[in-house]
Amino acid sequence: MSSASIIVVIVNILLAVILAVGTTPIMVWWERRVAGFIQDRTGPNRCDIGGFRLGGLIQSFADMLKLVFKEDFLPSYIKYKFFYTISPAIVFFCSFLTFAVIPFADTLVIDGFSYTMQAIPTQLGIMWFLAYAGLATYGIILGGYSSESKFGLLSSIRATAQVVSYEAAMGLSVISMLVTYGTIHLSDMVAFQGQVLFGFLPAWGIIMQPLAAIIFIVTAFAEANRAPFDLAEGESEIVAGYHTEYSAMRFGLFQVGEYAAMSASSAIIVTLFFGGYQIPWLDTAAIQSNIYVVFGAIAISLLMMTFVLTKWMKKHYTWANPDDSRAREGKILIKAFWIMTLVVCGVLVLFITTGLGTNGVNIATAVIQVGTFLLKFFMMSLVFIWVRWTLLRFRYDQLQMLGWKILLPLAILNIFVTATFVVVLGG
Amino acid sequence: MGVKVVPRHGASLKDKLYLPGIAAGMKTTFKHFVKNLKDPSNLRTSQYPEVQPDDITDRYRGVHRLTKREDDSVKCVACYMCATACPAECIAIEAEERTDGQDEKMPKKFTIDLLECVYCGYCVEACPCDAIRMDTGIFSFIGKTREEFVVDKEYLLNNERSKDFSDD
Repeated sequence: MSSASIIVVIVNILLAVILAVGTTPIMVWWERRVAGFIQDRTGPNRCDIGGFRLGGLIQSFADMLKLVFKEDFLPSYIKYKFFYTISPAIVFFCSFLTFAVIPFADTLVIDGFSYTMQAIPTQLGIMWFLAYAGLATYGIILGGYSSESKFGLLSSIRATAQVVSYEAAMGLSVISMLVTYGTIHLSDMVAFQGQVLFGFLPAWGIIMQPLAAIIFIVTAFAEANRAPFDLAEGESEIVAGYHTEYSAMRFGLFQVGEYAAMSASSAIIVTLFFGGYQIPWLDTAAIQSNIYVVFGAIAISLLMMTFVLTKWMKKHYTWANPDDSRAREGKILIKAFWIMTLVVCGVLVLFITTGLGTNGVNIATAVIQVGTFLLKFFMMSLVFIWVRWTLLRFRYDQLQMLGWKILLPLAILNIFVTATFVVVLGG
Repeated sequence: MGVKVVPRHGASLKDKLYLPGIAAGMKTTFKHFVKNLKDPSNLRTSQYPEVQPDDITDRYRGVHRLTKREDDSVKCVACYMCATACPAECIAIEAEERTDGQDEKMPKKFTIDLLECVYCGYCVEACPCDAIRMDTGIFSFIGKTREEFVVDKEYLLNNERSKDFSDD
């Protein structure tokens, strides 16, 4: 193996790890601040390290530290200690593994060798996602069952009923996507979505298959155990459901697993329906041939974004007491943002003036595509959070009605229509 | 008889589709989000230690105070009425003979354990001399030890009616 291939593999694995696990503090921060803003309050904004509160992000780290240092309590009445211990790990591990097949960028060509931009370059594609996403629920079911508590058991029953209600519809909605794309490889699906329909529409999954997209997004919410389908947690009626008896980092693993599942679901939704790493009307070849124009556009948009952000910060990122160490943070952060932006713009200008080799252009394209994927991924995560703070939780029977009586027939109908289309058009 | 007919929702096709309802709800929450992101100064949260509440009413029962006569001597005559009325038994009084000619008795010690106190105001009601009041408007009393919460006569005499309250 050449050093380039080792670096590419490490970068891919790091991306998957960071997106699945490392984004948890950021997601927790977003969740709290977005919830606050939606409900006309501020959310956590006071916790700081040396005056730096980063808009409240430090609170997530403080909470994480608290969970790490809490007593790891094991109730004495737990009979199945093994299941009790591994169930948070199952949730966490399965949600984390789903990330392994997400393509972060188009196939990267360095010195004639091409590398797949996935953490695990497996041929299983969407099957891998379905397998591990389904397995993650077993962690919840086992955890609730083995915690020897009525609330845990009720939650397990709910999780079981939930998983049998939505998994079928989810699988069937994926099948209609498979028929459309004609492949199970996620990278081929994303490559397909780089095309343009009728000369002006990007061939994204949501435009070609709106019904499958709706069904998949709804089931993905249930999959990730997020509101409005978080009835396994159901804090208003069954305390905390499956993690009632868990404390310290065991609970923390459940929490990280939940956010990892949310991240994985948003990544797979972006990959299947929102074009993955594709920029609309700008496929890989187009980026590579117009790389310097793209650099210029990125530099200008970066400057504009930093200008708007710093202007907002000057006005609103303040602290009531000017003697507090937190009052200085805004100015330092504004300077830091400008320095970062100017460094990136300087590098881009340097690239434009000196020019890049073939490898350089390919790597730059991959970086731009990873950036596009990240942008879409974070937008989708924001939608997950947004939905959680808008919709009410479904009742136990309502979810099953929705799964069996509405989503499943619609998914089957969608497969028929799609298959007919493909056959008639001579696919 | 006026009968109010409550409309039943959920029968129309639009309600059954559920998605228009979701979209409407998400639009509402998004409006709030964008409005508050653009200008966080509109948020209802007050940044507490820096911004103090300004809506404490005149009838708010805060930390107690002992009132004074016109010559600045203590009004209390150590009759033990407040200590008797106190359901939490947080008031401890030690009486002594009064030598300034104002009255017969006065408190030598007058301590209130603010950790025991339930801020019910019975002591204020019980006092025949209007000597104890709870109109300081102090709603947060901070200490690091239990002993600091046992306040003495000097502290109570130095407390004054809150400046935010109207004159009585």
